[in-house]
Amino acid sequence: MNKTLLAGLLITAIMIAVALFGGYFAPHDLKDQVKIEYIVNDQGKGEVIAPPVRPGSNYPFGTDKNGYDLMAKLMDGAKYTIFLSVGIAFMRVFIGGMLGMLLGYFRTNPAGRLRAPSSWNFLNGIPIFLIFWLMLIGISINPSLSPLAISILMGAVLTVVGLPSVVSSIKDKTSVIRDRAFVVASQSIGAGHWKIIRSHLFPHLKESFLIMTVQEVILVLTLFGQLAIFNLFVGGTTMNFDPAEYFSRTNEWGGLIGQARNSMYLYSWILFIPLASYMLLITGFHLVSNGLEALYKKRYAKFSHF
Amino acid sequence: MARVVKSAMTVPLAFVFIFFMAVLPHLLQLNESGSSLRLDWSQSFTAVKDYFIGIGTGESFRFLAGRSELVFWEQIGGYFKVSLLNIAGGALIGTTIGILIGIYFALSGADWLKRTVEFIGVVPDFIMILLLQFLIVFVASETGVVLFQVASVTADDPAIILPLISSLIIPANYMIRNVALQMKLTLTEDYISFAKSRGLGKWYIVFYHALPNVLPFIKADLHKLLGILMGNIFIVEYLYNMHGVTMLLFADAFANEGYQYALVVNGLLTLLVLYAVVFALLKTYLWGWEKVLVR
Repeated sequence: MNKTLLAGLLITAIMIAVALFGGYFAPHDLKDQVKIEYIVNDQGKGEVIAPPVRPGSNYPFGTDKNGYDLMAKLMDGAKYTIFLSVGIAFMRVFIGGMLGMLLGYFRTNPAGRLRAPSSWNFLNGIPIFLIFWLMLIGISINPSLSPLAISILMGAVLTVVGLPSVVSSIKDKTSVIRDRAFVVASQSIGAGHWKIIRSHLFPHLKESFLIMTVQEVILVLTLFGQLAIFNLFVGGTTMNFDPAEYFSRTNEWGGLIGQARNSMYLYSWILFIPLASYMLLITGFHLVSNGLEALYKKRYAKFSHF
Repeated sequence: MARVVKSAMTVPLAFVFIFFMAVLPHLLQLNESGSSLRLDWSQSFTAVKDYFIGIGTGESFRFLAGRSELVFWEQIGGYFKVSLLNIAGGALIGTTIGILIGIYFALSGADWLKRTVEFIGVVPDFIMILLLQFLIVFVASETGVVLFQVASVTADDPAIILPLISSLIIPANYMIRNVALQMKLTLTEDYISFAKSRGLGKWYIVFYHALPNVLPFIKADLHKLLGILMGNIFIVEYLYNMHGVTMLLFADAFANEGYQYALVVNGLLTLLVLYAVVFALLKTYLWGWEKVLVR
């Protein structure tokens, strides 16, 4: 096992542990709130304590504007961020990869000739985000469905909406491999469709699947974040009117980033600590993928002539 | 003949898809108690019907921006131009940089550089933009020098450099990784070894033997690349306050009198046109590369 893979596994394992058990170790409860207080210290000087509290010994990550512990929030939201993004990415590549491989293998028009543009490809022109925004804007703000129900709904939609791009990419790659000499040779000595898909196409696409899964995890996480920038949080948004304020119901990390966007210059930790956690998670997955790729190449790949 | 039919089918299918997507805010409703989802077909059907009736009267091409009523055709040109410049610039410059650096990466051993670029590739766009803006403000507050505009204040005075950088980084990175990967695989092929044994130069082999076999993979990934780019402009236009097509949708989809179905349909169709134009541009561009390289 190489160092990259080890580092990546370590980071993701810690993150998953936090998601599973973090709630038991949080220094403060989710409901603990710092109230505005006037305290007189040892020297007899008066001091006003008001949220947000800066990161310190009592609150390692500080509190948000309303005085709730940021660390407790992060630990609470981790499960949504991690399990949902991995689940969605896996389903996308699994279903999309199968479909793409079959469509690419059984395509009827020969390679090299100009193909009629697939209408589904051109629908890439509509940002997935926009579809999602249109779907959720009516339901996701101050909803009465439970956070879990909304998360699952979002997960299903995200999987389906992300499929076309995976399918088309794998389909095109399969088409190219299908015409390679070893596949043609295999066909000519009588290998069946299933045998060719299993022994020739899949092994050649394994690397692409791997890279794609990580790209999809990152794309899904990015989408969580993008939605959050527009105040649509995974699991639903609580909106207060006058002044208009948005809060994540699940404390999903994208949501924590989105709701803290206005704190960028003044109370920067409220934005930058969730941002750092979110980036660390992405880095973890990135390292795992890189590590696996290196491992895989060392075992199977031929060497560059240069 | 079948191909012509297939191509022709693209248009109605795209229309059906768009009409359906735009109707979603009407269609998906929570029931009275708010505890479950229900589908409001009658309201959705009325919206679609009104759109078609409105085409004749011109009503479908009017929309509310705040309190003023505007004509779609008079407004869309400006929005389209902003988005097109941004996406086309990002796609073309990004692809060029991506192919060249990708080749370099496949050949060189500069591992730390590869890792850095790869890492930048996984940083989500909105984080990159937030950090870029923060950096500019930080530099400005420390030194008093404002390097670039961090957002457009008015339509006449748009931010240009930062949005272009933001929409360039993602395609460039995606290309670098793809080209480097495919190039490395191609360089293991026997014909490269054969070309080498014939005494051909390294760069000649890379550009005239390997690259023509890498480009089909790049072309296969174009839709994915453009999909990512299109998904990115929403954020770029929003965070930099640029008056592009997606910003028009986001700002005016919901007006005083509720959801503007016609505007969203027209906006989504504009996005498809935008996609087709940039796709054609990129395809032509890569076709140019192939024409030059294939002997």
